Amino acid sequence: MSAAKGRKASPAAPASRAPARRAAPRSAAPKPAQAPAPKAAARKAAAAAPRPDPRDRLRRVLFLVPYAVRHPGIPVKELARRCACTERELLADLDFLLEVGSPPFAPDDFLDLYVEGDRVYVALHQSFSRPPRFTESEAAALAAAAQGLGGEGRERAVKALRESVPRDRRASFDELVGRIYAGAPPARDSVLGRLQRAIAERRAVRLAYHSASRDAETERVVRPYTLAQRFGHWYLYGHDSERGKALAFRLDRIRECAVTDERFDPPSEAELVLARLFSEAQGEPAQIKLGPLAAAWALARPGVRLVKRTEKGGAVVELAGASDEYATRYALSLGGDAEVIAPASARRHFVDAVRRTLARYG
Amino acid sequence: MQKDQRLLDLAALLLKAAEPVSWREIQEQFPEDYGGKGEAAIRKFERDKADLLELGIPVRYAAGDEDLPAGYLIERDEFYLPDLRLPPEDLALLYLAGSAALASGTFPYSRDLAHALNKLSFAARAPGASEAAALATRQLSAPEEGDGVDVGARVEELSRAVAHKKRVHVVYLGAERRQTTERDVDPYGLFQRGGAWFLAGFCHLRQAIRTFHLKRIVSLAMNPSAPRTPDFATRKDFSLADFATREIWEYDVHGAVRCRIRLEPPVPAEVIASFGPRARLAEDGGATLVEVDATNEEGLLRHVLALGDRAELLQPKALREKARTVLAGLERGLA
Repeated sequence: MSAAKGRKASPAAPASRAPARRAAPRSAAPKPAQAPAPKAAARKAAAAAPRPDPRDRLRRVLFLVPYAVRHPGIPVKELARRCACTERELLADLDFLLEVGSPPFAPDDFLDLYVEGDRVYVALHQSFSRPPRFTESEAAALAAAAQGLGGEGRERAVKALRESVPRDRRASFDELVGRIYAGAPPARDSVLGRLQRAIAERRAVRLAYHSASRDAETERVVRPYTLAQRFGHWYLYGHDSERGKALAFRLDRIRECAVTDERFDPPSEAELVLARLFSEAQGEPAQIKLGPLAAAWALARPGVRLVKRTEKGGAVVELAGASDEYATRYALSLGGDAEVIAPASARRHFVDAVRRTLARYG
Repeated sequence: MQKDQRLLDLAALLLKAAEPVSWREIQEQFPEDYGGKGEAAIRKFERDKADLLELGIPVRYAAGDEDLPAGYLIERDEFYLPDLRLPPEDLALLYLAGSAALASGTFPYSRDLAHALNKLSFAARAPGASEAAALATRQLSAPEEGDGVDVGARVEELSRAVAHKKRVHVVYLGAERRQTTERDVDPYGLFQRGGAWFLAGFCHLRQAIRTFHLKRIVSLAMNPSAPRTPDFATRKDFSLADFATREIWEYDVHGAVRCRIRLEPPVPAEVIASFGPRARLAEDGGATLVEVDATNEEGLLRHVLALGDRAELLQPKALREKARTVLAGLERGLA
């Protein structure tokens, strides 16, 4: 029953194990004078709902312990990033863990944990060697996201998630999955399935792709790095061999996809940090002048920036990075209550499209 | 003892125990917490059990038999996250979809999603390439600064209300009226469309199921009383997917009208797909004829206009005429 067996894995533990709950080992835990500024992106979710719930900490530590066991000597900074918390919060969590023991609180039952330099060591702990099962909301959120992307493995993945929820909570999982709808898959399941396999196996793909700029189908050989979502569309991000650079391909424009035998080395994390789905918005953003009805509707949509209000509740808005074609489509979709006004090339495209389309109704 | 500490200690005790732990023994181990006599201590323990289950930790009561005493236990098989046993492409699906959703900052249950993604590395033998790709996804899918933050909070709040079936009081800005209305809504579900999130639910003001654009919800308050008791039951005939996949021209505005559209070649797959799964398609000398039943002609008109000169409304005549009028009006303004 003792945890002694687990202690062997402890790397040179200086742990002074005391039976008293407060005197747990805290040996080499240097604390930074101040927590570093949290990363904006990682903090967003937490900042949105700053509700201190004791269960939040528990969820974090139930992941933190097995993760640190599996990665001995992981830097505090990296562990904090994995846990989506600040280093200060992480150190507070570690302090909290030092006081945890299982009754009857014999010395051997305490978690053996220490921070040395800026690295965390947790000796193999019997009880918390793996995280607990998915909660129904964890599994349901992941399942809903997977269903919105799609792919041949969608059903399998959702079933596996369901079975990873405690038995008593599976009915709640079923119900919750039906309460989130993240969108329809952007391409056929077979196309998505092959892309996902190619990403997992790092193999190049051959695509039949509809190029919007040329309005024609093209064949592309692409090293698929990842899939990502922006402004309601899914994109494949990968290296186009012919063009010699990384580009974004809209998934709903991929008609066919074949996995080739060509293997590739992934880009480094540093390269990916610099990656953008779209090349820096070229030139000026498109400006659209909206009537009052269109303005209310458009301003509630993502990707639209208000430039100024005009009389009677109208507005001028900007679409960053929009092609001339996109700006035209956007304005026309507002049913006559909007026009593209800038830049000049987008304006010409709009004028041309209105005249040509009107000619069809002549 | 602090609640978080008590819960973790309790879990550790029950996980480590070789046989079920009796209530008396639990009381002895946690004298300050469950030591009292009678109902109050048991109720506190039951609440803790429910909290543990919400964390994914099922505590069972085992009725004793000849070999085992009666008591509480956590079965290891039921506690530890199992290996999902999925092929690499399915793991890639989970990682990429989950990461994109999380990065958008506006996905329901986003905190749960973050935990789920973390746990995923334990639930698969070799996540390798997929996990690395997920990092890139997160990077690429992150919204611009200042984009969608407030919607993120709304989504999170409504996620809770949907999960616990709690009524919400909503101050809502109408799309075209530009004035606010207040109403109670039974939140049935959340759906995403064109990159924006919507709430679907029973609206007590209109006495019907309605959808609400989250960006136009000015303020939101969840019924604070009895947080674990549902306020409503979802209507049996309600399907969120049906609601969410309605095309704009299928909104319930008037009786159904059969409409025909002609698409000139080359017709990209996305354009055909934009008419939805219920559109009827026919070939006509390289062109594609699309037929849909519209209950909101105005919506169809806008959709077809956005396709530019590759699309032409053929029927009904009145709608075709309206398209011409809109385009002629725009053209006059261009001069």
